[in-house]
Amino acid sequence: MQYPDVYGYCHTGWYHDTIRYLKDTDPGPGPMKEVVTMLLEIDGLAKAYRKGARANDGISLSVEAGEVYGLLGHNGAGKTTLVNQVIGLLKPDAGRILIGGHDVVADPGHARRACSIQPQATLPIDGLTPRQAIELVGRIRGASAIDVRARRARLVDGLDIGEWLDQDGRRLSGGVKRLVSFAMAAVAPGGLVILDEPTNDVDPVRRRLLWAQVRALGDEGAAVLLVTHNVVEAERSVDRLAILDHGKVIVEGSPAQLKERVADDLRLELVLEPGAEPPAPAPFVLHTVVTGQRILATVPSTAAAEAVGWADSLKRAGHVEEFSLAPATLEDVYVELVGRADALQDANGGHGTAGSGGDGAAGTDGAERARRDTEEASRVGAA
Amino acid sequence: MSALRSYGLLVRWTGLRQKTFLPFAIIIQGLFSLGIVIGYPLLFPQIDARTILFIATAAPSITLITMGLVAVPQQVAQARTEGTLDYMRSLPIPRLVYLLADLTVQLLIVLPGVIFGVLVATWRFNLPIDVSPWVVPAVILVVLTATSAGYAMASLLPPLIANLMSQVLVVLVFMFSPLQFPADRLPDWLAAIHRVLPIQAMGEVMRGTLAPAEFPVSAGSFVLLGAWCVITFGISWRVLARRR
Repeated sequence: MQYPDVYGYCHTGWYHDTIRYLKDTDPGPGPMKEVVTMLLEIDGLAKAYRKGARANDGISLSVEAGEVYGLLGHNGAGKTTLVNQVIGLLKPDAGRILIGGHDVVADPGHARRACSIQPQATLPIDGLTPRQAIELVGRIRGASAIDVRARRARLVDGLDIGEWLDQDGRRLSGGVKRLVSFAMAAVAPGGLVILDEPTNDVDPVRRRLLWAQVRALGDEGAAVLLVTHNVVEAERSVDRLAILDHGKVIVEGSPAQLKERVADDLRLELVLEPGAEPPAPAPFVLHTVVTGQRILATVPSTAAAEAVGWADSLKRAGHVEEFSLAPATLEDVYVELVGRADALQDANGGHGTAGSGGDGAAGTDGAERARRDTEEASRVGAA
Repeated sequence: MSALRSYGLLVRWTGLRQKTFLPFAIIIQGLFSLGIVIGYPLLFPQIDARTILFIATAAPSITLITMGLVAVPQQVAQARTEGTLDYMRSLPIPRLVYLLADLTVQLLIVLPGVIFGVLVATWRFNLPIDVSPWVVPAVILVVLTATSAGYAMASLLPPLIANLMSQVLVVLVFMFSPLQFPADRLPDWLAAIHRVLPIQAMGEVMRGTLAPAEFPVSAGSFVLLGAWCVITFGISWRVLARRR
């Protein structure tokens, strides 16, 4: 089997290590023997913080080379805790993390060579221009000056940020800083590229350019772990995804697989008149999520006509300002799953088993959390 | 070789990030040295040449110690809050190289001010300053120890407490450390503490290498400071490398 030199420009240790791993695990020629190379394998990962919050609670997942894998979940679901363990900033309480077959819990130095990361926090690059920041990080990651320059030029073109290339980082807008931060992760990418909320603050046009570059990383052979709570964007961009809630993977699969759960469903969205009480659900409504003035009702597609009639009558009666009926999306699966998990939590009288480093999600009311995230998702979706 | 390459690239990264701040830092350090050398003697109506030399040769130690215990903790606390520290820790760089690159840039920032202060003192008071080559290891030891202590403090303590600690240390260094006055003026118990702490030794190695004829320095001071250097550097290295 031939291995294309996808990172021919990149002479870092991880690449050779990974290729060696690919060769070691290659079962050789044979009928229909497909080589599945799991670049990242996480097994039974657990991490609790000192205050007792279990940020990761037995997480297992794996990401193939060439795959864009989404990690979705609320603030505080345990996503960043997971990432920090992969790159060796945090030490797991239990579980295994393998990158390219190499145990990185025992050898965090290998993780840093094998992973490049775009962190969630906007990196201040005051004093540096995007050109300097991208090229210096590329060279610190081990690539040669010539390769880094060529790769930087491609990324800057691809993201359309050329006009800021030589401007001081202090004067860049938040969106441009994030794109530069992405380029810093992609200029000499590891076998595993971790992107934590890469599109925050980025304008809609460049958002698309960014997704194309994310896809390109996967096509070049890197495994991409994409951390986000933006369900709408994730649906379009990932090959597979896991939804994390309270430190556990509650569901995993491709967007299409997950949507099968709601394939026969429609989403009826009602926007209440200010001050109006939510109406009692009609008999055909499967379940509802009330988020402030907005009600998301899931209805079977066979009840489409009745649903429209019901919504219309509510509108005429002055309870509802507007409504829409549409096929269910990944967002509906997300809200249903996470909302249900929260409802279960509430029923058991238990809050706050999650929370990564105390970012405030633990102990928040379930409906409130669903509202926050739905609003966030729809705001982004509208953009 | 690759460690050396990383070191060079990191010094460049850190230097560029400090670029706009650098001229101001150098000017402030210069003024600071100047204040000690010119301003302090004004406290005394009559002052003999030896006392002036004593104060003037204390200025470099005070400047270096203040940088290590005040400026460094503030920078580290900021880097922690904004996430830069974690980002740098996620890059494939040996922790030791990262620490050394950071300390190098600190040294480059503070050195011009120190040299300026010494030159001004020599000119203003016509001092018999006759610098020994041992001044080089002395400066490196003082900077490494002070910045490592600042680094360790800022990495281990919560940012607010670290800032408070650095203020307390400034008072301790300025008012209650035998840098600008001989140790025998301190109460016995405090003098005893200073025989173990590194501050007095820092003052002695700087003074003893800047004006060796007037203030001979004992090997003991170098040894004590060397020990502190190993301890504080070791702690910051461990702190930087640890996984929570």
